[in-house]
Amino acid sequence: MSVEVLEYGFMQRALLASLMVGLVAPAVGVFLVQRRLSLLGDGLGHVALTGVAVGVLTATAPVGTALVAAVLGAVLIELVRARGRTSGDVALAVLFYGGIAGGVVLLGLAPRGQATNLDAYLFGAITTTTTGDVAVFAVITVVVLGVVWLLGQRLYAVSDDEEYARAVGLPVLALNVVLAVLVAATVVLSMRVVGLLLISALMIVPSAVAQQLARSFRQTLYLACGIGLVTSVAGTTASYYTGTPSGGTIVLLAIALFLLATAAVALREATARRRHRRRAEVHAAHPHEHGDRCGHPAVPHGDHVDYDHDGHRHAPHRTGTGVHYDEHGEHVPPAGTGGRA
Amino acid sequence: MIALRLRDARIGYGDTAVVQGVDLTVAEGEAVAVLGSNGSGKTTLARGLLGLATVLGGEVEVLGAPVGRPRERGRIGYVPQRHTVSGAVPATVREVVGVGRLARLGPVGRLRPADRAAVRDAVAAVGLADRLDDPVASLSGGQQRRVLVARALAAEPELLVMDEPTAGVDAASQDALAAVLADVSATGTTLLVVTHETAALAGVLTRAVVVDHGRIAYDGPLAGAGEVTGGHHHPEGTGQPPARGYRQDQPRVTTDGVR
Repeated sequence: MSVEVLEYGFMQRALLASLMVGLVAPAVGVFLVQRRLSLLGDGLGHVALTGVAVGVLTATAPVGTALVAAVLGAVLIELVRARGRTSGDVALAVLFYGGIAGGVVLLGLAPRGQATNLDAYLFGAITTTTTGDVAVFAVITVVVLGVVWLLGQRLYAVSDDEEYARAVGLPVLALNVVLAVLVAATVVLSMRVVGLLLISALMIVPSAVAQQLARSFRQTLYLACGIGLVTSVAGTTASYYTGTPSGGTIVLLAIALFLLATAAVALREATARRRHRRRAEVHAAHPHEHGDRCGHPAVPHGDHVDYDHDGHRHAPHRTGTGVHYDEHGEHVPPAGTGGRA
Repeated sequence: MIALRLRDARIGYGDTAVVQGVDLTVAEGEAVAVLGSNGSGKTTLARGLLGLATVLGGEVEVLGAPVGRPRERGRIGYVPQRHTVSGAVPATVREVVGVGRLARLGPVGRLRPADRAAVRDAVAAVGLADRLDDPVASLSGGQQRRVLVARALAAEPELLVMDEPTAGVDAASQDALAAVLADVSATGTTLLVVTHETAALAGVLTRAVVVDHGRIAYDGPLAGAGEVTGGHHHPEGTGQPPARGYRQDQPRVTTDGVR
């Protein structure tokens, strides 16, 4: 099978761009999700539009001016947040609407004939990616991934518990600014591929999928990058064949994965609950409540006490209606050393 | 060496002072309980030392430098007044406790083998060695509080500030915490524990500072603090006996707010 999609230069550039975006956007987005600032990317996308308009008006490369505008917006919002006078929420809203209003007004001022297709920036126009764009994207990709590798643990610390980070003397403001600038850079990188209105989705949705499946922050980060990369490249490829816009296709693909993961996790939990109920039923007709003098040896087990009941262990489990007993027999550590409940 | 020196300190939020006229000197290696009723300002006092509340006047020196200076970095451990670890994204015990080690490193740089060993030791010290790579969300509330204690211990701090470390923790875990704190205190770490209930930690804490209406009402041996407060430093309104013996699966409502 010939890979038709790779025969055209514009598609080669498009796939390269989507590969980089898919990898980078979730690597930054995971920290935004952790910080519960999922919409920061969206706000900075709006600000970047003002930058694009400035670029169009002054006939400079819009990617450069968008980067400058987004970075300035990112730094501004962190400074406003640090002052604490305005809540991050309100500051974000002002940035949001100021950015998009500025962009639309400035683009309206552009002389006729120079007017650029607004849709291309709002929803992405991946096939218009130039060789120069790809080079800029590559630099942004390397820089963003490098910073995440170097400062990832600190960014995690600040995103996880800002107050603790401040108390022990981590440079909280500096780290917040770094994260905001990373978001700004990612926004500009993603502009051509998914468009300014859909950028946040590519940062957040892969992370939302990964956090349901992973056990650690590191796993979440890697998994989110993998999911972002696959959906981005697959979506771009699919859009070539279906003739649909790449941005929307990528995001819908990612959301489909999210729904799938959510359903799978819900199913798994329902199964675990059913198994738990079945085990509890075995002992529903329990003759008495275990306690200090029930005659069954008490066995310390992790953070609770089991009771040795004819060779298997009963773990009291308080519910709304009373107490039932879980079986803790199948993982028997030597008494007293603790184990998983 | 002096660990803490406050002279006529006013500490609060915005322009509003919550505690004022505070004179307090704590020598290195002391183990101090900060007592007081809800709203007395005891938590604000502790937060002022950590740079989380604003010093509005007077002098506040922590480990020999005015509060908030970079010199303190990595020398302070903090256990916030919180029952559980937050965070939307899953994280393992190892990852959360690893954060405690970061402030000791420079502005960049990753955890080294010695740091990772310190993380393992801290987790072992709170009795969670076998849960090192489990997601924190899979732990019980009491265990999650121990994770936050381990995070502070991992820094091997010179000053350890704890806000209500025994609230919502069962009796066995309280005794385990007392043993851990005794070890930490023995290494010369200064302890400052904001608390309602001193019973569980009476063997570790030797000095009490009672805060009442934003001022220090008593400063002396822990044993004498009860006479001054007359027991009114118990959680008002909850009508609960001293919190020994309650179980983790009967979560206790803490009415004490952030300040």
